[in-house]
This record gives sequence, structure tokens and C-alpha cells, in this order.
Amino acid sequence: MSADASDLSLVRRVQRGDKGAFDALVLKYQHKLVKLVMRYVRNPAEAEDIAQEAFIKAYRALPQFRGDSTFYTWLYRIAINTAKNAVVSRDRSPVEYDLDRNNNDESYDMQGRMKDSETPEGLVLTDEIRSTVNAAIDALPEDLRTAIVLRELEGLSYEEIAAAMDCPVGTVRSRIFRAREAIDRRLREVFEGGLGRAEELG
Amino acid sequence: MNEELDSQLSAMFDDELPPAECELLARRLSRDEYLKARWGRYAIVGAVIRAERGVRLNAPLAGRVNAVLLAEPALAAHTAPRDRLQRRLRWWQPLAGGAVAASVAAVSILWLRTQAPTAGAAQGDSYVVPRPAPSAIAVPSTELANYVVAHSMFSPPVARRNLLSAFMTSEPGNAVAEEPQSDVKIIAQ
Repeated sequence: MSADASDLSLVRRVQRGDKGAFDALVLKYQHKLVKLVMRYVRNPAEAEDIAQEAFIKAYRALPQFRGDSTFYTWLYRIAINTAKNAVVSRDRSPVEYDLDRNNNDESYDMQGRMKDSETPEGLVLTDEIRSTVNAAIDALPEDLRTAIVLRELEGLSYEEIAAAMDCPVGTVRSRIFRAREAIDRRLREVFEGGLGRAEELG
Repeated sequence: MNEELDSQLSAMFDDELPPAECELLARRLSRDEYLKARWGRYAIVGAVIRAERGVRLNAPLAGRVNAVLLAEPALAAHTAPRDRLQRRLRWWQPLAGGAVAASVAAVSILWLRTQAPTAGAAQGDSYVVPRPAPSAIAVPSTELANYVVAHSMFSPPVARRNLLSAFMTSEPGNAVAEEPQSDVKIIAQ
């Protein structure tokens, strides 16, 4: 199995002019990229802006992407450079001192979230999504929960999970799919009863 | 929706689908909003399990990127004309290089020609008027001319020319001295 076949097939489509395939790449990596950028900027809204810029740079540079590294490694480098440049240019611009800022990560995190026009409904929805997914995971049968956690949290391949759980690779694939289906059923209810799927998924 | 298709989507999300199936599903994924929404929710599930704190799970990032890219040309459309142009340019690039070199040389020569007198004049306020060069047409003395004409019937044409040449080279001062001064023109530079 090619390590990057999925991303590469989407990348090739984008290179042939299919912008819809780039949507799929953004949807897949947006959270990872924002999390990565937040190592450089603490404010989530600023991190999203930088991640957006990184995605756009990546799109424009895709004709030069030859697949020597995985797509995410390549995107990762673009995001890091974009974040570093943003920090440098921000440091050169007049400093806005925040006298009320304290060093507590959680309180600053909340401050950043509230400062940047994040609506209370949006914050509630993020928390609701989180609690819904966690509740759905807790409700999963153990074999499904173990499979999805090993995949998403530990990043193991299906083959490694199969070895860890002492079952065929096909079973792992099925377990992960069924775990996702169970979680997704609950998650869809949140989105469909909330603010509208298109907005929430970006 | 087809359960097998959803199962393939889940495997593709994990990079665990064979490349040939990935190609087919990528095509469908890029066009099918239902699959794309499900794909986006799979990403959210992963973000929650990894406990990516501070990341807004409902951030409209993909929508914002999509809105920016709507204004941009698709990559194939954007790059294809450039490729065509490069192919077209490839064969005459060496010729173009030679033509540029020749043009530069020609311009340099013309520039030097126009610059040379100006550069000389610009060296100082005073300048030297060169002495006029001796005229190519030397006029022999009247006496000698008469002599040659008077005796021309006794000598062949070649001998007459030799005689005249010998006179001119042995007595250049006489020849120049007989040039009329009014014919000398001095052109100030």
C-alpha cells in the first residue's frame, strides 16, 4: 500500500485543474495545520488566518509538487515558513500591549478565542462537537474503540493495528469504518440541529 | 448511501486504500458534497480524539480557502499555456540568443561611432585644428608640365607617367606649394 496514495490521487486531480479535490485536502488537514501554527501564534483566529494563507500558497505551488515527500510533509513546511514570516512581520509592526494578559494558557486561550469575533454560538458548538464525539467514542464496543483510537491517536497503520489486536487487516478496516459511522451518526445530529452544515464544516 | 463506498472513504482517509481505488474515489470525492461533508466529519473525529485543544472544530477555514481559490484559475488551465509557450520557445531559443548578441554588438558599434567625436571635444576647452593633409592631387610645376606636353610625341604614355611620378616623389615640397591656398578648407571640430 502506498503511504500517500490517497493524498497523491487528490493532489494529481488538483494539478489537472480539479479545485474540488483541493477542498478535500483542506478538510482533511485544516485542524492539524491550525494546531501546528498555534506553536507560533497563540491566538486561534490568527492561527486560522495563517493556516489559510499556507493552504493558498500550497495550492499555488502545487504545480511544482512532484511527490518526493508526502503531501502533508510538504504542506507542513509551507505552514511553518508562513507562520515564522507572520511572526516576524508582526514583531516589526507596532506592538499592541495587552496589560491584562496573564501567563495561564487556558485563560489566554479563551481570551484569544473571544477577542477575534468568535461568536458564543460558535464556541458552544465546538464544545458540543467535542463532547458528542467523546460520548460516542465512550459508547463504542471496545474492539471498535481500540481500533479507532490506535489509528487516530497513535497513528498506527491498519497492519500494525491488526498485529496489535491480533486480527486480519480487513477486520481492522471494518472496525474503524464502523466506529466512524457510529460517531458520525451522532455528529450529524449536532450539525443538522445546529448552525448549518456548510458553515460548520467550512 | 452505499456502505461499501463509505467504507472505502474511511480507508482512503487513512491512506489504506489501494492506489487504483483511490484514483476513482478521489474523482468522486472532489464532486460529491455528501462524501466531502462526511470526509470533513472524519477529520473532526480525528481532531477530537487527538485532543487538539484550542482548534475550532467548526472553523470555516475550508470555506474561506475555497472562496479565495474561486477567483484563481484552475491549475491545469493556468499552467497549460505556459507549457505550450515553453515548447514553442524551445527550438528558437539558441537563435534568439544569437540575435540578441548581434543586436548588442550593432548597438555598441553605433553608440561608439556617435560617442567618439563628442568624447574628444569634451576633453577640454581648447582644441587643435589639424593641419590639412596634403591633397592627393599634386600639381606639377607649369614648366615641367609644358616640357612633358612638348615632348610627349617622343615618349610612350607609360614613360610619361613614370616621369611625372618620379618628379612628384622627388620634389613633394614643390607640388604642395603650388596648391592654391583658397582651396584649403578647415573644418572646426
